Amino acid sequence: MLDKNRIRLMTKMAQYEKTLAPEDLKISSYYKKDYASLNTLITAIWVTAGYALVAGLVILCNVDALLKDLTVTKLIFIIAVALGAYIVLLVTYCVCAGSFYKSRHNKAKQRAKKYYRDLSRLGKMYVKENN
Amino acid sequence: MSTLLVWKEQLQKIYARYSIYIMKALQFVLGLCVFGLINSNIGFMKAASSILCTVGLSVICAFLPLVVMVIAATALVLVHFYALSMPIALVSAIIFLIMYIFYFRFTPKKAWLVLLTPVAFALKVPFVIPVAFGLLSAPICVLPAAFGTIVYYMIHFVKMSSSAYKGDDAKSLVEGLMAFTKQSLTNKEMWVMVAALSVSLLIVYAVRTRSVDHAWKIASASGAVTAILIGAAGKIALNVHLSYGPMALSGVAAIAVGLILEFLFFSVNYSRTERMQFEDDEYYYYVKAVPKIGVSAPEMSVKHINERKEQTDSQETVLIDSRNVKQAAEVRRQPQQKKRPVPKPRNQVRKVDHARAADEILLTRSLTKELGLENLEDELNK
Repeated sequence: MLDKNRIRLMTKMAQYEKTLAPEDLKISSYYKKDYASLNTLITAIWVTAGYALVAGLVILCNVDALLKDLTVTKLIFIIAVALGAYIVLLVTYCVCAGSFYKSRHNKAKQRAKKYYRDLSRLGKMYVKENN
Repeated sequence: MSTLLVWKEQLQKIYARYSIYIMKALQFVLGLCVFGLINSNIGFMKAASSILCTVGLSVICAFLPLVVMVIAATALVLVHFYALSMPIALVSAIIFLIMYIFYFRFTPKKAWLVLLTPVAFALKVPFVIPVAFGLLSAPICVLPAAFGTIVYYMIHFVKMSSSAYKGDDAKSLVEGLMAFTKQSLTNKEMWVMVAALSVSLLIVYAVRTRSVDHAWKIASASGAVTAILIGAAGKIALNVHLSYGPMALSGVAAIAVGLILEFLFFSVNYSRTERMQFEDDEYYYYVKAVPKIGVSAPEMSVKHINERKEQTDSQETVLIDSRNVKQAAEVRRQPQQKKRPVPKPRNQVRKVDHARAADEILLTRSLTKELGLENLEDELNK
């Protein structure tokens, strides 16, 4: 027999399974700290690569001005500025990425928990109907 | 106003019913705009710039997620740049990669927003972007708006100076690499527009989230005015090529779009605003409640006067025997014949079955004999 509540529940679960479930189940298989740390590390690597690309473009833009009257002091100053900018960028991105991935883990965990709860509710509905 | 609200309700109903088709159609139109603009402006590779390629890519991207359209547009731009010059393609690829690393890696689903900004620039209404994004989204949309502006100016710059970058020898390659990087990253007009769009978007968002009356209208107007002012300041201070006329028109279009968006997504009645004050153990609460304007669309009901009961009552599938149908048709036909008898032609001779008539006469006579009705008949005849 058709049960409206069960059909509603199954539709909601099917929609979740189709959209967010694969990613959420994958994320919830990690501990929050592990997931955030791993992704922050990956972000740090990407940011390093991105910074190198930006620095390369900036150097390519201003190669004449940089090479003009280049001294050791000026070179050290440029390297120090570049390093400082890199550290600031890296720290900013790592902090933001850490909080971003923690919040993503929390949301995914909540959705997955709700999905499992709905699954058990559905099981109970079937048991009730069979009895 | 009430008519407009009824139209809005009807539009919502239509969207709810046909949302799949509407989304696909909009995706197709966006694809046509994006690929058409790319091919018409920087169509250096003839095979990729044909109308067939534009329509084909739009159709394919209409049935795939929007991220695919972003990737296809990026690939198309790079292909055209590569056909023109290797250094330009290289620098552009690096710029696209930087955009991916610093933003799109985190929210790939919002990557399509970057497509709207170059389209708005091409349609000469760039200030619509900060107003629309500020009203409907979050401050993080500053990044796609800024990246879209950079992409537009990069394409625009290549279109304007494409002949200067043609050349295959190693020296011209290196020179081209340096020149294009310098020109594309030190374009003052581009940075002025990036600043105008970013500041305007933040102002629109900041004003829109306040609890003042008509916040959306004030936000749209202030965002448009801010963008125009920054553009004008950039023109005066940095001597960039920005005209006042198109900027003003763009600002007016931004305000108009803001009003439309407010009507569609935030229709409230400020005249019925209620202010409440209450407290609990820890806080005092000052609440402002603004009611939404709700109009239900009138539903059209069609009443069938001569409706047949058989059609309405019989919802279930029934097996029909053809003989029963024929009998029913004959039965239905007979009363009609009684009501409206078909006139017989006068000159036609009536056909009589003589054998049957003789049998009937004999039967009648034998019955009258048996029942003794002959005398009665004679008396009646006398």
